[in-house]
Amino acid sequence: MNNPIIWLHGDCLNPESPVFKAYPNAPAIWVWDDALIDEWQLSLKRILFIYECLLELPVIIRRGDVATEVMAFAQEFSANQIVTMESPSPRFQDICITIGRSLPVEILSPEPFVRYDGYIDLKRFSRYWRVAEKYVF
Amino acid sequence: MTQDMKREFASREELITYLRQQFPEAATRDSHVSPTLGGRKAAETALQKVDPSKYSSTRNFLNGAVTRLSPYLRYGVLSLAEVRDLVLAKVRHQEDAVKLVNELGWRDYWQRLYAELGEGIWQDREPYKTGYTASSYSETMPEDIVEGTTGLVCIDSFSHQLQETGYLHNHQRMWMAAYLVHWRKVGWQAGARWFLAHLLDGDPASNNLSWQWVASTFSHKAYFFNRENLERYTKGVYCGDCPLYGQCDFEGSYEYLEGKLFPGAEKVDRSGGSKSWNRPKKPR
Repeated sequence: MNNPIIWLHGDCLNPESPVFKAYPNAPAIWVWDDALIDEWQLSLKRILFIYECLLELPVIIRRGDVATEVMAFAQEFSANQIVTMESPSPRFQDICITIGRSLPVEILSPEPFVRYDGYIDLKRFSRYWRVAEKYVF
Repeated sequence: MTQDMKREFASREELITYLRQQFPEAATRDSHVSPTLGGRKAAETALQKVDPSKYSSTRNFLNGAVTRLSPYLRYGVLSLAEVRDLVLAKVRHQEDAVKLVNELGWRDYWQRLYAELGEGIWQDREPYKTGYTASSYSETMPEDIVEGTTGLVCIDSFSHQLQETGYLHNHQRMWMAAYLVHWRKVGWQAGARWFLAHLLDGDPASNNLSWQWVASTFSHKAYFFNRENLERYTKGVYCGDCPLYGQCDFEGSYEYLEGKLFPGAEKVDRSGGSKSWNRPKKPR
């Protein structure tokens, strides 16, 4: 039987996120990435803003190494799957690979801004927009 | 496994005190808190105030009808699609929403590039078009800019505002970035790191690629400005108080400043009938 937990990261702090709609009863976790806070030298105001976002979400808040904490959380709930939202961040990809060695990771997508799946040239914004504007409105 | 962090707070002050205890290093770096509230409720309040038509005509002015949605978009508290839908629902004619939807497109564009480039967003996408090589630029932030003691009232005010509130208007970001890279010869990466530490909407993709756009490592030419441009879009609030008025680093025509800042740059072909070269590069 499918028994997932939700991993929330910094690109999906929305109570109406597809992860909550798809799995309304799944326990959710946020992990403060201590290494990232240090690497980016984040100031307190940025942490406060994120924390205020988290307080409006049904999520357990922890800190440390993200992959380790997410897997420990999954184990607490005897979960057999991790569900999260997609992110372009390379750090996100790395964490998914690490977690994926132990449990399957399902990555959901937000509603697209540009409803087009074909190739878009990203050399300059003007080239992107020439295609995007046909599908965005 | 770490312990669960607290979720119940009697007030914002109590939360701030808790975070200062939990993240002492971040608080030591910079202990300011922003008046901008996090969360979906605050995001929806900001969304209701959006005026697409007014945005279109006034957004480049510091007191223009900008949306202040960027921190909520950055963390996915709001999605680009839902903002687009709401903006379109607010206007009678689609053209009134085009500029705002186009600006949402910039975020989508940066995110798509981030997915392609990964950590490569920290590398120059292209060579500088300033006549200088990357090695000509310093790797560290000048102290007087961080401390807001350059003597230029505009730049010092932007520095204080960034660190105290975590917010700068897009035009302020561009002026600050241009000053740092083109007047002070600091590599865009140093400025990008500084912005990321403080901006509530700090996102490596939008932030770094915008810095590269100003620096000219991701555009055909460098973005720079003159005092007249800054004075116009700020309604003179900084220039009016500046003891350097009339003799600051930003005085002069675009042609004069271009020659001064980029003496070794490849010259733009000015032989044609168009005088468009004489206009400043438009803010994006």
